[in-house]
Amino acid sequence: MTRAAPTQGPAVTLVIGSGSVKCAAAIGVVKALADAGIGIERVVGCSGGALFAAAVAMGFDAATMADITVRTWTREVTSKRNHLGFLRLLAPRLFGFRPDSFGLRDDAPMLAAFRAVFGQQRVEDTPIPLHITATDFLNGELVDITRGDLVEAIRASASLPLAFAPVKLGDRLLIDGYMSDPLPVSVAMKNGGRVIVAVGFESPYQNNIRSAGRFAAQLSAILANNLLKSRLAFQSAAHHSEMILILPEFKQRVGLFDTAKVPYLIEEGEQAALQQLPYLHALLDAERERREPVAA
Amino acid sequence: MQITLTPHDTLAVLAITGSIDSLNADELTQRFAQAMDQGHVRLVADFSLVNYTSSAGLRSLLGAVKSCRLAGGDLRVAAVQPQVNRVLEIAGFTSILNIYPDVRHAVESFTEAA
Repeated sequence: MTRAAPTQGPAVTLVIGSGSVKCAAAIGVVKALADAGIGIERVVGCSGGALFAAAVAMGFDAATMADITVRTWTREVTSKRNHLGFLRLLAPRLFGFRPDSFGLRDDAPMLAAFRAVFGQQRVEDTPIPLHITATDFLNGELVDITRGDLVEAIRASASLPLAFAPVKLGDRLLIDGYMSDPLPVSVAMKNGGRVIVAVGFESPYQNNIRSAGRFAAQLSAILANNLLKSRLAFQSAAHHSEMILILPEFKQRVGLFDTAKVPYLIEEGEQAALQQLPYLHALLDAERERREPVAA
Repeated sequence: MQITLTPHDTLAVLAITGSIDSLNADELTQRFAQAMDQGHVRLVADFSLVNYTSSAGLRSLLGAVKSCRLAGGDLRVAAVQPQVNRVLEIAGFTSILNIYPDVRHAVESFTEAA
């Protein structure tokens, strides 16, 4: 597949942050933008958002993206245990603990699900320029993946710590993108994005913490939410143009694999985007006038 | 967006109406600067009628807060609507801004500190 000519007409850079199945709200955002005649000139995705960013970059429509979500984001895809991982957790010396292969879940079903959707697609060949973010396990840096196998890139971006093993890409060992920035607006800024639509999600806090797993999830949510806020504070202050935050609020509780709620998530995302459309239109009109000043 | 400046004894209240975004953030920045030029380094931004703020609006607020504090005063924000507070909160601004439930409390906070 070859990359198309740059989008004609009004367009934005779309950033989809981490948020597990809640990232399906981005489908509604994309639908609202498309219905309003607003194109997407670049898309950035992180963790769960990487899957949807890839689908947007491929030019899939909302119905196709919803179908992909239901097929790929299932409990079955992530519930297969990695028994060696558990043994390495319990007896690291005996079973040879290695950070580059440590994970408590087997990623084979997830990889198969992603491969069924994206095949051998490469990141650099998507019709819309695509950036997938991950985190360098050795130094914590945000890694912007713009080349290589698309499925490997998504898998690296969604390497939920402890659950899935890091991914070796080139000379880097990569873990989940949310560990360096849950909503990587900086990637859009560095690539010249002016009008940036950022779809972000806060990590949910646990109601009942009665296991070590939930305890760890609570710690992770605290860190991720504080990181989200601090990064957004800096990026808001530093961006030279405009960033429109879309932060869908879900009245219904959404579990990690609540694919039954995908239609609800899409609707909430679309409604959140529709609220921003009047301003977005005015902003894009102003951008067009700035680029093409009316001849005197 | 509409802005009305009301001077008090030792401070000024800027009542802002509408959306603060990149199409009008410069105007807000100028109004903050004008208030400071008039000697008001203690400012209260009445947000009761602000229904939206974008990153451009956040930058305007940040610049005004820094200028006021450098001059020994402060910009305090009052009556922030929930949808605007969510943006302030998610962008970390609630950790650096002094925010009050209404203008009266914001004005009194300066008196208490004096």
